[in-house]
Amino acid sequence: MTTLAGLEKGYEFPAVSFDLSDQWVDAYVASVEDEVVAALDGEFVPPMAIAALAIRALLEHSSLPPGSLHAGQELAFAAPVRRGETLTVAARIASRGERAGWVLMGVELHVARDGVAVMTGRATLSFPVAEGAVA
Amino acid sequence: MTQQTSLAVGAALPTVTKTITQEKINAYSLAGGDDNPLHTDVAFAAKTQFGGTIAHGMLVLAYVSEMLTAAFGEDWLASGRLKVRFRAPARPGDTLTTSGKVTSVGGGKTVCEIACRNESGEVLVSGEAEVSR
Repeated sequence: MTTLAGLEKGYEFPAVSFDLSDQWVDAYVASVEDEVVAALDGEFVPPMAIAALAIRALLEHSSLPPGSLHAGQELAFAAPVRRGETLTVAARIASRGERAGWVLMGVELHVARDGVAVMTGRATLSFPVAEGAVA
Repeated sequence: MTQQTSLAVGAALPTVTKTITQEKINAYSLAGGDDNPLHTDVAFAAKTQFGGTIAHGMLVLAYVSEMLTAAFGEDWLASGRLKVRFRAPARPGDTLTTSGKVTSVGGGKTVCEIACRNESGEVLVSGEAEVSR
């Protein structure tokens, strides 16, 4: 598996589909101790779970370089998501630059249900330039 | 925690407080599919610039999102926007508290400044959230 360090601006990650099984949602909710979403509607999935899936999709095809940091995150939710639904995650490297010995990489995220976006976003990652030499 | 239905400029959002443990970080790694050793391998992390394991940024954001869900209910799930910077790491043993304050209301949108601090008051995450209502 390649690392993100070996990927250049414009790279599109293969789309990944996820089923929001009760087992996975329960594990996620337990891990973040979310006490609120279930009170709204027991079928709702915490919105940040969708963001976590988007990040997970990146890691299905590439690993984080040693020393990687999550520097920033932008997210926009377009619709509630419920247990049992299937979501598809697409992502592309929208920017890549260097500053003060660090690579700054912007990754656009797009999560859809039946082809309609439920979440979009952008993750800003950074890692040492020494790890960022494009293979 | 009670969902608020109307928030004016200056109103504070209901806070969320959680204590980070290595067990919670490990559980999030499994659920999130992020097994970066910086989060889970104590020996590896000890040799990094952080000197120990740190929590995933997305775990900390989940606490922020819980606060916003408590404040705005389904509106947050249907129309929420969030832009944050991760300013410092959350470590096992840290007790984190989220905070938020409404900075503008108008045009069908409510905007809030948000943050998450550790027990020392250090800002770990800061940014802005927006909800259409």
